[in-house]
Order: sequence, then C-alpha cells, then structure tokens
Amino acid sequence: MIDYRKNYWLLGLWLLWMPVLLPGQQCTLSISGRVLNAVTGEPLAFANVAIQEANVGAIADEQGYYRIDNLCAGNYTLVCSMVGCDHKEHPLQLQSNLTRDFRLHETAIQLDRIIVTGEAIALQSTRATDELSGAELASTQGLPLGESLKRLAGITTLNTGATIAKPVIQGMHGNRIVVLNNGVRQEGQQWGLEHAPEIDPFIADRVRIIKGAAGVRYGSDAIGGVILVEPRALPEEEGFGGEFNTQGFSNGQMGVASAMLQTRLSGKLPLSGRIQGTLKRGGNLQTPDYFLENTGIEEYNFSWAVGLKQDKFEIETFYSQFNTILGIMRSAHIGNVTDLLNAIERERPLRDGAFSYEIGRPQQRIEHELFKINSVLKMSEAGKLSLLLSRQFNFRREYDAHRLFNQLPDAIDNPSIQFEITTHTADLVWEHKPVMNLRGDLGLSFMRQRNSTARGALIPNYITYNGGVFWIERWKNYPFPLELEAGLRYDYRWMSIGRQGRDTIGEDLAFSNLSGTFGAIYRLPKLVSLRLNVASAWRAPHVSELYSDGVHHGSASYERGNPNLRPERALNQSLTVELDNKKNLSASLNLYYNLVRDFIFLEPRDQPQLTIRGAFPAFDYNQTDARLMGLDWSLNYEFVPGWTAESRLSLLRARNRRLEDYIIFMPADQFQHSLKYTFGNNANTNNAPFIRFTMVNVLQQTRVPANTDYAPPPPGYTRFDLEAGATFYLKKQPIEAGLTIINLLDESYREYLNRFRYFADEPGRNIALRVKIPFGNLR
Amino acid sequence: MRTNHLQLLRFFSILLLSSALLFSTSCKKDSDEDPDNEQELITTVILTFTGGGTTITAVARDLDGDGGNPPVVDNITLAANTDYALTVAFLDESDPTDVEDITEEVLEEADEHLVCFVATGAMPKPTIQDTDDDGKPLGLVSTLRTGAAGNGTLRVTLKHEPDKNAADPCATGDTDVEQTFSVRVQ
Repeated sequence: MIDYRKNYWLLGLWLLWMPVLLPGQQCTLSISGRVLNAVTGEPLAFANVAIQEANVGAIADEQGYYRIDNLCAGNYTLVCSMVGCDHKEHPLQLQSNLTRDFRLHETAIQLDRIIVTGEAIALQSTRATDELSGAELASTQGLPLGESLKRLAGITTLNTGATIAKPVIQGMHGNRIVVLNNGVRQEGQQWGLEHAPEIDPFIADRVRIIKGAAGVRYGSDAIGGVILVEPRALPEEEGFGGEFNTQGFSNGQMGVASAMLQTRLSGKLPLSGRIQGTLKRGGNLQTPDYFLENTGIEEYNFSWAVGLKQDKFEIETFYSQFNTILGIMRSAHIGNVTDLLNAIERERPLRDGAFSYEIGRPQQRIEHELFKINSVLKMSEAGKLSLLLSRQFNFRREYDAHRLFNQLPDAIDNPSIQFEITTHTADLVWEHKPVMNLRGDLGLSFMRQRNSTARGALIPNYITYNGGVFWIERWKNYPFPLELEAGLRYDYRWMSIGRQGRDTIGEDLAFSNLSGTFGAIYRLPKLVSLRLNVASAWRAPHVSELYSDGVHHGSASYERGNPNLRPERALNQSLTVELDNKKNLSASLNLYYNLVRDFIFLEPRDQPQLTIRGAFPAFDYNQTDARLMGLDWSLNYEFVPGWTAESRLSLLRARNRRLEDYIIFMPADQFQHSLKYTFGNNANTNNAPFIRFTMVNVLQQTRVPANTDYAPPPPGYTRFDLEAGATFYLKKQPIEAGLTIINLLDESYREYLNRFRYFADEPGRNIALRVKIPFGNLR
Repeated sequence: MRTNHLQLLRFFSILLLSSALLFSTSCKKDSDEDPDNEQELITTVILTFTGGGTTITAVARDLDGDGGNPPVVDNITLAANTDYALTVAFLDESDPTDVEDITEEVLEEADEHLVCFVATGAMPKPTIQDTDDDGKPLGLVSTLRTGAAGNGTLRVTLKHEPDKNAADPCATGDTDVEQTFSVRVQ
C-alpha cells in the first residue's frame, strides 16, 4: 500500500491519468482570442464576437478576451463588432481550437461617445512593465512566486536556499518594492532577507511587474517597483466551471495539486463565486553531488471569493489563507563566524544527507491571511467610486536548530522567534469622468499595522498608522500620438515603538513626504513607441532598520539599528523604447537611472561584536546616496514561421556614492537566450504546442564592496533549460500539459544572490511535469 | 442628482457594514497588549579548576545578550606543575531572580553536545574525562597538568550537534558558546 500522504508526487502522477477516465462528446472545439484597439494595442472591453453561420457568440470581457465553446468543425465567418468601432470579419476553417485576435479601429466621429460611455480600459503605464501569464506562468507555478518571475528581464531573486525566494526588481527588494496581492498591499515580513512573499502562486492568473518608483499610486514604499499578483475576474456568465492543476517535480520529489471551482448563479441575485485551494509537499532537494538536508516544504493554501456585479454597483469579497512549513538547510545553521568559515572551507555540507520528506529544525512556519471587501459604485455623472477594505494577519514562527534551553517540558518545542503582524487598510478612489481628454483618479488611503513580537527580541513591538492622499491625471487626445501623465501624493506615517525584549523603547516617530510622477508615451507611426517616466518616491525607515539589535544566524553577523535614520528619497528616470510590428517581431529596451538619497544599508564596523558565542562581524544601519543604473532588454523574433528567437538581458551598476564603493547583494549581469519552435502554422495561437530551449548565462558579480563578505562571489555559470507544452483533447475534454527541465545538464553552480552559497551548491536537474484540466463552461 | 445621493447613501451603508465585519474578525487573533519577549540564552560560563588543594573559579559573563556590552571574562591563574580537575558549567542569568543551570540540559542531551578546548602558550590542553551515552567525549569534566610558569589562553567552545565521528569533531556543528580566557601559570 502506498501512503499517499507521504508521497504527494505519486498522488500527483496518479492524478495525471485521471482525465483518461473522463467522458467526452461531439462538437468540442473552441475559438478564443482578444479584441484590441488596432492603433494603441489596448484591449477593447465588451465587444461582440459572433459566428455568423452558427448564430452563437460571446462578449469580450474587460480585458478584451472572448471565447466561444462547443463548436463543431466546419467553415465559419467570425464577426467582431463594437459600438464606435469598425467591424471585422474573419473567414475561417475550424478543425482544431483556434485563437483569433481582432484589432478594431475606433471611428473618429463616435470617439467622444466611447470615452463617455465606455468602460475604463487599463491605461498603459509610462514606466517599464512586463508580465507573466498563460503557459509562461504555469510552467513554474509550483515553485515560489519569485522563481517564476526570474524569466523576465530585470527581475532576479534573493534566495535563502531554494525554497525562499524574494523578488528583486532592478536591484531593489524587500521594503523597497511593493507586492500587491489581488489589489491589496502584501504586509508580511518583507524586511527580512529570509522572508519571501506569502502568496500562493496558483491564485495568480497573471503577474505584472512595474519597474521603477511607483509611489504615487501604490504608496510610499514603492521606490523600486511593484509586483501585481492578479487573479482572474469572477465569472460574468452563468454556469459552472473550474480547473484542476497538478505538477510533479523530480528534484525534492515535490507534488503540487491545485483546484479551482467557480460559478455564477442565475436568477435575481447574480452572484459569482470561486473557491480555490493548493496542496504542496516536497522533500529534500538534491544538488548534482549530494542531498541538501532538511530542505523540504509543505504548503496548504485556500481562497474564496464572492462577488455581485450590477450595472451601477459591484461588490467582491475575497479571503485567502497561506500556510507553509519550510525546512532550512541544516548545514547552513551556524553559531558564530568560526562555524561559517569552517563551512566555507569544507566547500560542501558536512553531511551528504538522504532523501526525506521530514522537516526538522531549523524551520519556519508561516501563516498569512487576507480578507478584503472591494466595492465599486458607478455614478452616471460623477464617475466611479471604489472602496477597498482589507485585513491581513501574518504569523511567523522560526525554530532554531537548537531547542530552547530551560523550558518546561511542554514548552520545549516553542519557537525561538515569533511575530504577529496585523494590518488593516482602507483605500477610497474616485475615478472622475473624462474632462477635456483628461482621465484621472483621486484617492485616499489609510493603513494601520501592529506588530507583536512574542519571542525573540530582534524587532520591537510597534504600531504604525499611515495616511495618504493622491491625485493622478492622464491626458490622451486620440489620435494624437502623445499621452501625458502626472501625479502627486502625500503620505504621513506615525509609528509608536513599544517593547523590545526586556527593554521598553517607548519612542514615537513621524514621517511625512511627497511623491510625484510625470510620464509620457509617444507612439511613432506603426512600429515604435517611447515611454518616459520621471518619478520621485520616498520610504520611511522600517522598524527593523531603526531598532534591530541582534545576531542573524543565517549570515553570522551582528546588526544594530539606528534610531536616527531619515527617510530614503528616490528619483527614478526611465526610458523605454518598444518595437512591435504586430506580426513577428517585438522588442523592448528599458534604460533606467535611479538615485536614492539616504539609501539605508549595513555598514561594517571596525571592531567585531563580542558575545558569549564568540565574535561576530558587526554592522550598523547607515545611510548613503546610492545610484542604480542599468538596462533591461528583451526581444521576441519569429525569424522563420514557427521558429522564435527570444532574448533577455539585464545589466545593473550600483554604487554607494558616499563611500565610493559598490553596494552588496546586487544582481550580476545576466543573459537568457531561447529558441522556441511552435508546431502548427498559426504561431498566433496561444495554446499551440511548443518546445523551447533556453540558455541562462549569469556572469560573476565582480562589483562588490570590500571587506563585507566572507567569501568572494561565486564564478558565473551557464545553465540550460528545456520546456515544452501542448493542449491535448480527449474528445471534448482539453488537457494542457507541460514539461519543464531546469538545469538540463545537471550542472553544479552557486548563485551570488543565494545566501546559502557559502554552504552548498544550487539544486541540480529538476524535471517538472504539469497538467491542467479545465472543465465546465466557466474555465 | 437625487438618485446619485441615494446611490451614495447605499454605497456608504455597505461600506460601514463591511468595515464592521472586517474589524470584528480582527479582534480574535491579535495577541495581548503585553507580549512575552523572553528569549532563553546562555549568559555565563563558569570554569572550576580543582587541584593543589585549592579551587579556582573563572567566569565569562554577558548578561545583556548579544548586543550592548561585551562579555566580562575573568583571568585564570594556575599553579605550575600541578594536576587540576576542570569542570565547565553554563548558566542563564538573564533574569537575576531566576538563574537557570543550563549544564543539566547539556548533560541530558549529551550526545548532541561537545565542549571543545583550544589551549595556547603555557596552558596545557585539558583531556576530556566524561562521555555521552554512546561513549563519545562530552567535555563537562576534564583534567590537565600544568607545566612551567608562563602565559597562555584557553578557548572553551560548546558545540551543538557536532559530528562526533568526524576527524575533527570541533570543526563541525554549530556554536552555542565560545569564550577565550587568559591564563597565567605561576
């Protein structure tokens, strides 16, 4: 008898065969695609798409996506029409599932009416943006969120082992970027290097990245960028549907299963609802030469959403819960610098380990809850008013390698560190009706956050209140090729610092400041568009930077906060050139130049800190002026039908200008080159079978500050990945399947941005199989 | 405009209701106003040398934890050419009203612990006399014989989860305590 509780990956593999048992029917084909503005490339919401012959159709959603199901093979004419736009027809021969995008031209005479009556379309950002969705997102969805984002130019991760990955946007991470989970600012323990975002990647239908200071819209801390984790919208058609996802990973024998069900009721109360859940279990990871002891992971997540959408009023409630238990590699736990130097000298972990699902000490247990209520009121004359209320609760327990000394027997398993953070937010945004080609938002936001440190005195207890007010306007006079955006925000933050260990700090601090943004988009005829953004944002010093006092076991360093820190002020300039011939070539080049005044960093002390455990190198939080500049480049070019070359490049130069030195933990230069072959003669099709071969090339980081690290940055590496995906049909039932092989050649390497590089290599080859089975009429 | 007012009214009443909902759920899990910030640690190492008819005690003590003041470490003065028995004890004196003896726990988990000694100069290296349940060295009790007069140092390290089968067990495991004492043999 196989114990499935211990072998989730086996369960996952078994479930892979489930669809074979499912029944099928005739007329199973579908046509899907997107309706876009032919000139701007923006999605057009609520266009009608119909099949003339079959007299069936669909209405595109807010993002312009449409889908018509249950079609028989045959010849059809697909018609797309929308008020205020011209109408398009596509004759087509339907034999397999097809994707057809429509590009409609707005008819100039009716333009005003469209703006007045039309649904607000998400405006294109004037900053550099990037996004991950569809197969690109799905292929690594079982891995931590940050890992999936790495394939985008300019995005890296700061890892603590393979299971904790903090996203890094153009060199900035942690408190300098904001993660929006379903519209709500993720408030966990972002400050710590070993604290990854507490988000189930399967919630996301799409992950968008905004690079650069975006403090006006997203709040004062967003000086480095924003990550938006976006679930799909609740269904607006009646019916029932869902999807089932399963993934198995060879390395760590990890199995992931995720399911989603959604429905929309018919009748008087047009309620939509969705439930979603994910189970994950993995064991010890393996490098090419040895196992990494105690690197297992367990995750149990679920979420639900209920929404009501009427013409004038919408309300949606969403709840999600994230629970994880993470093993921290045993050999990376050290007591003092001698231990660390011993580990570096050994060049590999003390013990080779073996495979096990057991998660021992040290470990982290994290719970994160999010509850939000979002309501929107569309007023016929005054515009749109929306209010977002949310509550988050983050509960983190860290267990040291060593059980606690002198505890009563029932308390011996208590954690060494325990934090609870509760955050309430309220955001009220008024989107006014367009006035003289101006569209804009005015908003108020409020946040209250409370931290209780129940164990461990690293961070004091505190309460923070934050109030902000912003105003953003966008000027767009179609078809004039220039678009302008400007915005301003004022934030006030008040903090009350309470107890830390046995001491009472009892300080109250207040910070307030302005953020501003100015951006422009200029579209040259047909091919090229330019985006320029100049933004200034600020970040109040975090409590951890003000009052940290203690030894970090992972990094063998003593860190001391500085209560006199001033806020950081960033001035961010970014220019993006985009090229898109709407056929076979798209490219983007983003140049950025960021100055951060009073950049907070850890400055090494001359004298080590002496403790009962021996000497630790000591660091003080201090401020400097930092300059981060670089470029991100990406290219997709279908040079022969079916064959696409993809290339990504990220370069970054970071400088500490007061010390005339480099800044630690900055990503090294990296390149990704892929060759993708898409089967079938329609490369436009989103779900066409494909195979992609990728070379990831990371150079050695040579720009590191002197005397702040125990070992030099590891040499650069080249890694090969392989990926394939296809959608099969078992009669009516579509099955999306994918294969991803990371580190195809089982190369041994270490990554500068992984804090466990002192102790062990990166994981070796990882073969991942995934299957997604959508079902019902709402998929 | 009238409908607008009604809409607004309805909007805000729903807001009120929903915010009440939000805040009522929030009260459950928030912890007490006065959390217990206790963190257990070893604050004190006591070396007791018995020999030549005398007992010599040397203490290394860091009551304020990792930050703040460095540990205060006594100097050791031993007699030349004398046999000594050395015992090592660990205390948690962070709460002066409730001093805990950590030595007992080291003894209980003897197979997971090891006391390592590094001696320099005139200080001879202590020879470990006690063992854990597996017959491997533990280090709470040791012996040494001093030689000629001179100066030296003794480094005492308490290792957690060392590999006692390794060639050099003291290069493995993680360190719970590490203190260096100055020694004078006269």
